[in-house]
Amino acid sequence: MSARAGHILAGAGALAVLATLPLWGGTPYGLELGITAATFTVLSTGLNLVYGYTGLLSFAQVAFFGIGGYTSALLSHDAGWPVFAGALVGGVLALLLGLVIGYTSLRLSRHAFAIVSLSFALLCLIISRDWVSLTRGPMGVPGLIAPTLQLPGLGRIGFDRPAVFYWLMLSYAVLVVAATHRLVRSRIGRAFIAIKLNQPLAESQGIDPLRHRLLAIGVSALTSGIAGGFYVFHLTIVDPSIFDFYYTETMLIMVIVGGPGSFWGVVVASLAFTAIPDMLRFSHDLRMVLYGAILIGAMLAFPRGVGGWAAQRRLVRLRRPILA
Amino acid sequence: MDFATLLQLLINGLVLGVIYALIAIGLALIFGVIEIVNFAHGELYMLGAVAAYFLTMNLGIGFWASIALVTIGAFGVGIVLYELLLAPLAGQGFERSILLTLGLSMVLQNGAMFLLTSTPRLETTPYSYRFLVLGDARVPLLRLFALILALVAFGAVYVTLHHTRTGKAMRGVAQNRAAALMVGIDPRAAARLAVAIGVGLSGLAGAALAPVYSVHPVMGFAFVFKAFAVIIIGGLGNILGAAISAVSLGIVESIAGGFLPPAFVDAIAFIAMILILLLRPQGLFGRGVRV
Repeated sequence: MSARAGHILAGAGALAVLATLPLWGGTPYGLELGITAATFTVLSTGLNLVYGYTGLLSFAQVAFFGIGGYTSALLSHDAGWPVFAGALVGGVLALLLGLVIGYTSLRLSRHAFAIVSLSFALLCLIISRDWVSLTRGPMGVPGLIAPTLQLPGLGRIGFDRPAVFYWLMLSYAVLVVAATHRLVRSRIGRAFIAIKLNQPLAESQGIDPLRHRLLAIGVSALTSGIAGGFYVFHLTIVDPSIFDFYYTETMLIMVIVGGPGSFWGVVVASLAFTAIPDMLRFSHDLRMVLYGAILIGAMLAFPRGVGGWAAQRRLVRLRRPILA
Repeated sequence: MDFATLLQLLINGLVLGVIYALIAIGLALIFGVIEIVNFAHGELYMLGAVAAYFLTMNLGIGFWASIALVTIGAFGVGIVLYELLLAPLAGQGFERSILLTLGLSMVLQNGAMFLLTSTPRLETTPYSYRFLVLGDARVPLLRLFALILALVAFGAVYVTLHHTRTGKAMRGVAQNRAAALMVGIDPRAAARLAVAIGVGLSGLAGAALAPVYSVHPVMGFAFVFKAFAVIIIGGLGNILGAAISAVSLGIVESIAGGFLPPAFVDAIAFIAMILILLLRPQGLFGRGVRV
């Protein structure tokens, strides 16, 4: 069996395990973890695309997530839109705002992008809290009802059932992971990596860094925004805590430990970092202290994460002389 | 709006702006000399306030003595921070330093939350609830002290950078690290001092403001958001630019607060930053690492 067939088999096996979660682990707690894991997989894959592949440290992912959440919540709650349309509009709005902050700050430097993306995320938090006439302020928009779909032939699908909502988030996460995987393995993905490794050299080969970076920001904003648009219907409420820095820090830990730029490392880290800390039952504060310490340790000793470390090991093995 | 109200808003804005400046100058100095954006700056400010609170309320040390002790302590924390965490990163990339200081900020903020809970505390001093009356405007004494301390600190930093050999060495490293090394300046000593001064300033701000704003683990968050905007507006690494932008931002925010709802007041810094990036990406006062 070739290595490629092995990978496909492993992927199919993992997918089968995840898809049948409601059958073997269908407790409310298990489904809650599953929905959270699927959501974080979308978010950290988006951050990996921007940071791991094009080398831009972005703090704005949580803002895209929250903008999608607020947009779909307000459109469905106040204007009576269907949830899927609302989530899509939320994603598009996040994409447009992502392009605005990306275009303005990347003209200066990627350093400016990091700072502007952070300020943008904090600004979204402040606006959601203080622009009461639009967002209802700190109380948020409660009572969001998950949609039901009337499918011809299949009958009624109620997403208010946790198992069905889990399947929705899982399908969405699989879709995003597959699409992102295709993107990073394409010619465009190789251009992303080239820009990250050596921008002047990439430019001399005719690659436009600004356009490629804006593409990465836009794609990740769209996927994160739609994820937020769905996720708030699981929470049944959207309030300013959707912009909480906690999401940013968790995403960063997943990407850093998984290894920026190593695609599957980040996906696995997203699943692991949703499940493990929850099972250890740490208090929230202590968990974030631990995440912070991991971040410091990783930056001092392990800057390329577990994925980067594995890739390095593989290189060393390949370079070993054959006749030792 | 009558004149007295406007004067009051102007004075409040000046005090607020000078406080922004204290935080932003430290950030700009550290960025100028070692090209590290210190994401833990707000938490160091919070630590300064927490330390001042416990010194005065639990150990019975006076207001002025607590400020002196905290500032000296913060200076020492800066040296330790540099030697332990930042020096090993020298020249290892901007993103890595951001993530490292972000990790530090997570440890400090959530550690404080765990140990102190998020209950706000207010330091009381003999000067609390007392005012200096200027015509129709009233300035709380504690804010006036913060203003004076900040001006003295800024003057001291300015004199150090421009009129002492050590300060000139720091500016040399900021301008051109290799050239500074060639004429016999130790970049590590200069960097250590820059971090120590930056952290010392944030400790000073924390101690001076502990009786003005309530002390709690996330108090640094909002200030640092403004300070980041300020150092972009003033030109990354430009200290004088950061100071001028900070004071202007404080005054504009305070006066706008007289007309606009709070969401828009907090948005001013961000909108100004985006406009500056669009129209004058090098910052109002010129880009480049100029201390």
